[in-house]
Amino acid sequence: MKNNSVVHVALVGNPNTGKTSLFNLLTGLNQKVGNYPGITVDKKQGKCKISDELTAEIIDLPGTYSINPTTLDETIVLDTLLNKNNVSFPDLVIVVAEIENLKRNLLLFSQIKDLQIPTILAINMADQMERKGISLDIHKLKEELKTEIILISARKNSGIDTLKKEIENYKNWNTEPLATISDKIDSTFFSEIKAVFPEFSLYKSWLLITQQNNCSFLSEELHSKINLFKKDSEKIKKYQHKETIFRYQIINEILKKTYKVDRAEATDLRSKLDRVLTHRIFGYLIFTSILLLIFTSIFEWANLPMDLIDGFFANLSELAKNNLPSGTFTNLIAEGVIPGIGGVIIFIPQIAILFLFISILEETGYMSRVVFLMDKIMRRFGMSGKSVIPLISGTACAIPAIMASRNIGSWKERLITILVIPFTTCSARLPVYAILISLIIPNKRILGIFNLQGLTLMGLYLLGFTAAISSAILLHNVLKIENKSLFVIEMPNYKLPSLKNVFYEVIEKTKAFIFGAGKIILALSIVLWFLASNGSSTFKNAKQFVTSQEENNGLSDANLQKKIASYKLEHSYIGNMGKIIEPVIKPMGYDWKIGIALISSFAAREVFVGALATIYSVESEGEDVGTIKERMAAEVNPKTGLKRFNFATGISLLLFYAFAMQCIGTLAIVKRETKSWKWPILQLTGMSALAYVVAVIAFNILS
Amino acid sequence: MQDILVYIALGLAIGFLVKKYFFKSKKKGNCDSDCGC
Repeated sequence: MKNNSVVHVALVGNPNTGKTSLFNLLTGLNQKVGNYPGITVDKKQGKCKISDELTAEIIDLPGTYSINPTTLDETIVLDTLLNKNNVSFPDLVIVVAEIENLKRNLLLFSQIKDLQIPTILAINMADQMERKGISLDIHKLKEELKTEIILISARKNSGIDTLKKEIENYKNWNTEPLATISDKIDSTFFSEIKAVFPEFSLYKSWLLITQQNNCSFLSEELHSKINLFKKDSEKIKKYQHKETIFRYQIINEILKKTYKVDRAEATDLRSKLDRVLTHRIFGYLIFTSILLLIFTSIFEWANLPMDLIDGFFANLSELAKNNLPSGTFTNLIAEGVIPGIGGVIIFIPQIAILFLFISILEETGYMSRVVFLMDKIMRRFGMSGKSVIPLISGTACAIPAIMASRNIGSWKERLITILVIPFTTCSARLPVYAILISLIIPNKRILGIFNLQGLTLMGLYLLGFTAAISSAILLHNVLKIENKSLFVIEMPNYKLPSLKNVFYEVIEKTKAFIFGAGKIILALSIVLWFLASNGSSTFKNAKQFVTSQEENNGLSDANLQKKIASYKLEHSYIGNMGKIIEPVIKPMGYDWKIGIALISSFAAREVFVGALATIYSVESEGEDVGTIKERMAAEVNPKTGLKRFNFATGISLLLFYAFAMQCIGTLAIVKRETKSWKWPILQLTGMSALAYVVAVIAFNILS
Repeated sequence: MQDILVYIALGLAIGFLVKKYFFKSKKKGNCDSDCGC
């Protein structure tokens, strides 16, 4: 039930109009994102205090060019606006438009206005009007569009208070439709629609008829009525085109009277920059240099905070052990929970730095140039230019990236994109890469500028991208599905990044990492600790057995304790499980402890480090546990006496994680998006087999 | 007492993992797959 003091507001607009910036300004940190971290695919909601009496519940809907959806995520907008029983059905709509592309933006506005929901037009980037030589007769425009218009600048935080004041008054807004489509298209046909659906506005009925998907919120009776009109699909398509043309005619007429651009006064910096950044040689060189800067910085800047966090958790573990009453629960806290949580928190600096750069690149408008640049490459490999956005989003997380592939029109291109996305290096791989690289690659500089560890990390990102491209070629040739698609991308203007947006993005992504993976890691740490701290009779008699065995060897007390702990771990439940899988993982250079971490990390890749931290903590019972990195560095292969994480094992593990599909969440989302188990199973089998073979070859060559 | 706490923590952890990976979470609202939500 709707509360009188709460008004439901939907933010709607074309992509790149600054809709999300406005949403951030209105809601601040008071926002909630849907199920998955990443780009706006599912609904993003937040609260905003409009006045003492009124609070707005705002939904940031996905960017769309019209409400004739052609892609699955665009249908979310339509579903929200048409379904009055939807919990998110708005009391009013704010259509966000951008001053430079007003004509195209007004198409969407005109459609929403015709739904007769109270609607206001917020024209963003109004601060740039003068610089771009744009003049606008706002009074005339209000009159022609039959709506309230607010000029805003989300970047400069101007016009927001006026917008809030206007929202207070939404019940008095003009809800008259803008375009009367019936007369201009086919008056008889539209009269029939009106007669069949007396309960809906004419435009809403028309929209329901034109949808390709059957909306579930309608009754069976309505479905059958709609289907009657849908029979002649050619006619419907023709009328849809007529509608668009008619709307543009109206918009053109209105803009002729109200909107003028004097190009002579506009600055041309954008086109000069575009020519360099999308140049067929310089474009790629600049992009590569930016990547180098990002990966070098991830290691250079994150070192100190990571060491501090690692040290803090090692001390905390010691503190818990020494100060809490001794017993199994204290052991669980000190050896299971604290190292497990430490294994998550330690990677916050690197995750934050990565997303700081990605967010700055997106904010400045550079990312769209990268997409344009990469489109030329993608087309050769059976993917669409639209595949670039999901592939780049995949560096954050494969789950939202796979969902973002919904806007790829061709099923074949979409399927290929979905299948190859998990090869791109997601943020969950970063912790695994970071710890292994710091163990096996020296912290040296190349040519005095590039950090060797940073270069290795960049190499792994490129390896993932290359694997994605190669698999795409293979799939393109193997899959026999007809395919045709066009790629259109809008180049947003360059702008200085809004620090607020960058800050929110970094916070949101870091939060998603901690609370998404963190809960799984914590739960698994508890389970792993239990399995490592308990066992059958051999485990229980470990102390007696080892003491009697070592009786005559003259071991110091510390060494004896270490031997007992190792023996116990080896004969614990987890030790027994590890021994079973050891023959399979041995050719890759791993022992059973790494094997356990490897299996645990199937839940989420980043669990690998936390799992090893827990296992090594249990083994070092009674000793100073040290940091995660120290524990991994100190681990020795008892047979060879060499370090366990040597160059060969390290590279083998890096390659395994580069290619393996170690993520249950991704498999679930592939199943959901492809509506079949066939594709996720193929993906899992193919990627695991590739990872295994590559890791075995690498280990055997390098050892 | 400490043993009981360990078993409670273990039960909660297993319960969380089972719920996460073996049971689908219900979607809120009227967004049905028919409309591609």
